[in-house]
Amino acid sequence: MPSGRANVGDGGVQYSFAMEYHGPPITRHLPRAVPINVDRIPVAAVVSQGSLSDKLALPVVQPILASDITKNFSKELGLGSECLVSPKSVISFERQIGDDDSVSKELLLGLGTETTVSPNSGPSNHDCRLSGELSCSGTLEINPDGRYGSGDFSDVINSSTELGASTTSHDLSKELLAGVGSSGTLGFSDSFDKSRDLSGSPSEFGVSNACKESLDINDLSQPDWASTESILSFDYPSSRVSSLQVGDCISEPACDERRNLVVTFRDIESEDGDLTEELNGAEPEITGLKKEFEVRAKKGTCYRCFKGNRFTEKEVCIVCDAKYCSNCVLRAMGSMPEGRKCVACIGSPIDESKRGNLGKCSRMLKRLLNDLEVRHIMKAEKFCSMNQLPSEYVCVNGKPLCHEELHLLQSCPNPPKKLKPGNYWYDKVSGLWGKEGEKPSKIISPHLYVGDPIKADASNGNTQVFINGREITKVELRMLQLAGVQCAGNPHFWVNEDGSYQEEGQKNTKGYIWGKAGTKLVCAVLSLPVPSKSTYSCGEQVNNVVSRPLPDYLEQRTLQKLLLIGLSGSGTSTMFKQAKILYKDVPFTEDERENIKLLIQGNVYGYLGILLEGRERFEDESLNERRNYNCSRSPGQTGHADENDEKTIYSICPRLKAFSDWLLKIMVSGTLEAVFPAATREYAPLVEELWDDAAIQATYDRRKELEMLPNIASYFLERAVDILRPDYIPSNVDILYAEGITSSNGLACVDFTFPQPASDDVDSADQHDSLLRFQLIRVQARGFGENCKWLEMFEDVRIVIFSVSLSDYDQFAVDGDGTLENKMMLSRKFFESIVTHPTYDQLDFLLVLNKFDLFEEKIEQVPLTQCEWFDDFHPLMSRHRSSNSNSNSINNSPSLSQLAFHYIAVKFKRLFSSLTARKLYVSLVKGLEPGSVDEALKYAREILKWDEEGANFSLSEYSMYSTEASSFSH
Amino acid sequence: MSVAELKERHMAATETVNALRERLKQKRLLLLDTDGSISSSFFAFSGFSLKLDLSWELRSMNLAVATYARSQGKTPLTFGPTDLVCCRNLQGHTGKVYSLDWTAEKNRIVSASQDGRLIVWNALTSQKTHAIKLPCAWVMTCAFSPSGLSVACGGLDSVCSIFNLNSPTDKDGNSPVARMLSGHKGYVSSCQYVPDEDTHLITSSGDQTCVLWDITTGLRTSVFGGEFQSGHTADVLSVSINGSNSRMFVSGSGDTTARLWDTRVASRAVRTFHGHEGDVNSVKFFPDGNRFGTGSNDGTCRLFDIRTGHQLQVYQQHHGDNDAPHVTSIAFSISGRLLFAGYSNGDCYVWDTLLAKMVLDLGSLHNSHGGRISCLGLSSDGSALCTGSWDTTLKIWAFGGYRRVI
Repeated sequence: MPSGRANVGDGGVQYSFAMEYHGPPITRHLPRAVPINVDRIPVAAVVSQGSLSDKLALPVVQPILASDITKNFSKELGLGSECLVSPKSVISFERQIGDDDSVSKELLLGLGTETTVSPNSGPSNHDCRLSGELSCSGTLEINPDGRYGSGDFSDVINSSTELGASTTSHDLSKELLAGVGSSGTLGFSDSFDKSRDLSGSPSEFGVSNACKESLDINDLSQPDWASTESILSFDYPSSRVSSLQVGDCISEPACDERRNLVVTFRDIESEDGDLTEELNGAEPEITGLKKEFEVRAKKGTCYRCFKGNRFTEKEVCIVCDAKYCSNCVLRAMGSMPEGRKCVACIGSPIDESKRGNLGKCSRMLKRLLNDLEVRHIMKAEKFCSMNQLPSEYVCVNGKPLCHEELHLLQSCPNPPKKLKPGNYWYDKVSGLWGKEGEKPSKIISPHLYVGDPIKADASNGNTQVFINGREITKVELRMLQLAGVQCAGNPHFWVNEDGSYQEEGQKNTKGYIWGKAGTKLVCAVLSLPVPSKSTYSCGEQVNNVVSRPLPDYLEQRTLQKLLLIGLSGSGTSTMFKQAKILYKDVPFTEDERENIKLLIQGNVYGYLGILLEGRERFEDESLNERRNYNCSRSPGQTGHADENDEKTIYSICPRLKAFSDWLLKIMVSGTLEAVFPAATREYAPLVEELWDDAAIQATYDRRKELEMLPNIASYFLERAVDILRPDYIPSNVDILYAEGITSSNGLACVDFTFPQPASDDVDSADQHDSLLRFQLIRVQARGFGENCKWLEMFEDVRIVIFSVSLSDYDQFAVDGDGTLENKMMLSRKFFESIVTHPTYDQLDFLLVLNKFDLFEEKIEQVPLTQCEWFDDFHPLMSRHRSSNSNSNSINNSPSLSQLAFHYIAVKFKRLFSSLTARKLYVSLVKGLEPGSVDEALKYAREILKWDEEGANFSLSEYSMYSTEASSFSH
Repeated sequence: MSVAELKERHMAATETVNALRERLKQKRLLLLDTDGSISSSFFAFSGFSLKLDLSWELRSMNLAVATYARSQGKTPLTFGPTDLVCCRNLQGHTGKVYSLDWTAEKNRIVSASQDGRLIVWNALTSQKTHAIKLPCAWVMTCAFSPSGLSVACGGLDSVCSIFNLNSPTDKDGNSPVARMLSGHKGYVSSCQYVPDEDTHLITSSGDQTCVLWDITTGLRTSVFGGEFQSGHTADVLSVSINGSNSRMFVSGSGDTTARLWDTRVASRAVRTFHGHEGDVNSVKFFPDGNRFGTGSNDGTCRLFDIRTGHQLQVYQQHHGDNDAPHVTSIAFSISGRLLFAGYSNGDCYVWDTLLAKMVLDLGSLHNSHGGRISCLGLSSDGSALCTGSWDTTLKIWAFGGYRRVI
């Protein structure tokens, strides 16, 4: 100790005095002088572990307590030398600590232990080693009882909070330091949990956060710091200027420390951060729940860009009171999921003094955002759970409310207006409501079970007249007298919510207080409340918990995501396009249409190519046939026949043949997309000629034999001539039919709302629904199976719409292992894997059985039993077939396709319930019919609504189809 | 030739290939093996093409490397819970974090999350310097360009988007997309810039291919794998470019293999690495560029040698039941002595690569992540590890105490 002192004294303000440490034996006292090395000043740097930092440069803030402590240090020590606002102040500060008693020694020691590993850039390697060894012993000591120590520490903090709100920081820090000293160590490596506990108080959190931010900025003011990490100062040039004005004795050493920490990434920062956090923690605990930005260099500037003055329009964070100019507000506040809060403040409760402004939008925001967004943000601000009044701040009849009570109070038909934190009294019988110690301010709904029973002195009256057990105030007595109520003899009244009053112990109603018109006038003059009209009717229902509406903030998930999924070819793309056309004002922009046009034209060339290929095949076939025929008839004349009958109906003229060959060549080379549709202009006339050619028409008539040709091709081929014109503009229907518009992208999504239904059948629920926004996400199922990694990304969808093409039952496709499998079975496999995927554990599924129009045609020709899954489909209807085809009424005798549909639906439902024990919803869709898709999506909406309305009614009654398969069984 | 005949031939051919592969494996094993050489040569001599018991194989392998290491006087690292300490907690995402990447020098991190944003962080101050709203929220990967001037990201929209960090934002604070690299037919699962080139980028995709892009033109320079080439047969989930020879890169796929590619030879993979029994979720080159590590759904990490094609080491924690947590992401320390592996259950193991010993579980520390570790990465100087998790936060871990960076 004396030697350290002497050294420090000699050193003065020079760095080099540390060189005098060569060789002396190591003692415990030495290290106190060591930290003069500028790179390793172990002053608590504030890097809070869980700090919500953000990209903004938050305004400069003083670390509140830290500075207080320093002040106290200087006071207690009574050292003549003041802290200097210069880089050298580091040393003077250290000297003070070095001279201090055991408390600061411990403090320093605790900190010193952490600093040892930094690359020794300091002038004295020797010192470093010394402190290193010290730290070794330090940690050994500290770790075992670190938790104990911190426990003490927090105890101290608590006790100091009890001391009262106005404890001076002087006292506090004494307390604190004493507490620290008694526990003996400052090793916080184990006390992490404790500090977490402490930081549970949001206010404290904010302060430490703010401290950190200020330190960050102060870092930049150090010239050497700026040079080592030039990028930082480059990023925040303005902050550097401002912070120069702020720096004082404590921030300087602190930032030196920080620099060291920042560069080396060691754990010290966190530990030190905790330490400071805890130190700081004490202060906010006492000052209450205010979380605020402290001094700024210049008042009135934007907190982010530091520009502007107090007259520029600014938006204020409802948590920390930070003000941002219009340029910064969106960046500072982001998407405002909880209203106008800085990004760092999201999740923190609001500043109660700003409660009145909740949901009141400023002009600035209106200018920056569009109407819908503003409405949304304001709604979020008002109703999100974080911004609700913390229930424990409201005391009714001396008891802090719990969450349910507060909600009950606010959701009653006649709630107290503008409820602020505070103490209130509430007369449950009459509904009278007022601030504690004051006359009633309002009559709210009676019979709410909130708070304790009312106390006699609730309104601090002294009239000896009681209403419902509360001694009333003079003003009330005056009102009663004017209302003609007999108040002689200090009676005790029972007043009901309708104003009827009885004297205690008597049965008969003596009259109505507010019955006379004059009374209301009197009340108005005396500024006493009168019951509102609605008070009479509500009465008992208020307490019915079940009928209570859901709190608004629970319905904030207004964007409901619907995942549309299915195998390729199951019509998901069509449904997606259909939804776009149905619900969007402008389903496709000009650019999109242009792209789609090119795509369609390319497709048509593709179809043509397939046709031409088919034509060649048919030509060969018919030639072969003829040859065989000729051979069999007259083997001797083959040569002659070949020359004459080379032409079949599938032959085309050489010019077209050349074009055809060229087209096929391109197709084989796989560059069709590259060549067409750029060459459309050139070839359009040729295509016209080709299409008119008899051979092509003949081939087209046999299109059923061309497997490659999709069903949809005929729609386009028949209009090929129109489509291939350069000025062709695809219609919505064309787009609907076209292939590949959305599949090129792995994912497509569209936001929509269901349009308002016609006005005559609007009920309130529907109106509400129309505000709900939906997002239809359509995913191309590529590489499915267990490897669907991306499925996890859709965990927030509300419902999965799984599309299956009904007409797939006789078609085959290549599955993952390269074997040919029935497409319906593939769909089933995919369905199973999706349904059993853990992400969709509790999700509703809507099965869309698509392409019913095709199915209707097909089922007449191909039996459903083609697919092995449906081999027990034996409809009981063959006898009525004839009558069936005439009258298509489903009720009497359903058509074969209807029966088959129900059968398949039941198959899937059984599969689903066997896999998940839940209910599958099924919808029948013809993807090409807008009404059908609309219905399916509305059905999805209904399912979501049922979901929300809760489990208290049985969903099974509402499902369209029963699980019983009685009608299909044999 | 009838179909049946064809099938038969195909079967026979497959058999032959498999048998050859087995023999090759044994040969390699023989060359590598020091302990099990007798038994190995017995198999080789007797000419059986028996499939070796896998566990035996692994054991012998591990024994080989580990025993050699021990004979050289290597002891397992001692690594305590205070040696790697969480020193930053980056909060700001509101969705699951899916990917992160460090800059080459400036200690910045870009992270991609399901909330549809890329955030660029200053790792030193844990401040955000950029928040980029993405046109498609389903982002799976992100990468910093070597110069640190732009970031790339990709996801379910099948497009790799490049954002310029210096470009001015529009009035909503959104950055415009500087370049869209479109051409993949499946989701973009991973992307990495070619070292020291801001103009080239390699992506891997769910369409079973990897693509080398020229960013200036926005066109594909070469496509690795795909229909007619000897590429992956399932979604490619990860790529890693060799740090010392940027022509070579390795890809990991859902077909349980990893493949080594030469960017000049797109037609076929240089080498295919078998061994995993589940999707290879993550590949990462060893710092020396001669080895690479893999992390898989089967719960193991493996180390492969690219020159010999050997599997050098398996890093596996034995769980009682069958469902070992998947390895989601891996990274090597600057020396390669440590392998960091993130697991789907929130664990993050630190392995001694040499001895295949787990030396630390970051998931067991008191301030660890609350959800699955989805990505991790080491800063370029090796002094800090960043982990991203589904609990929406990123954490930076640094070598604490007086431990030297290894």
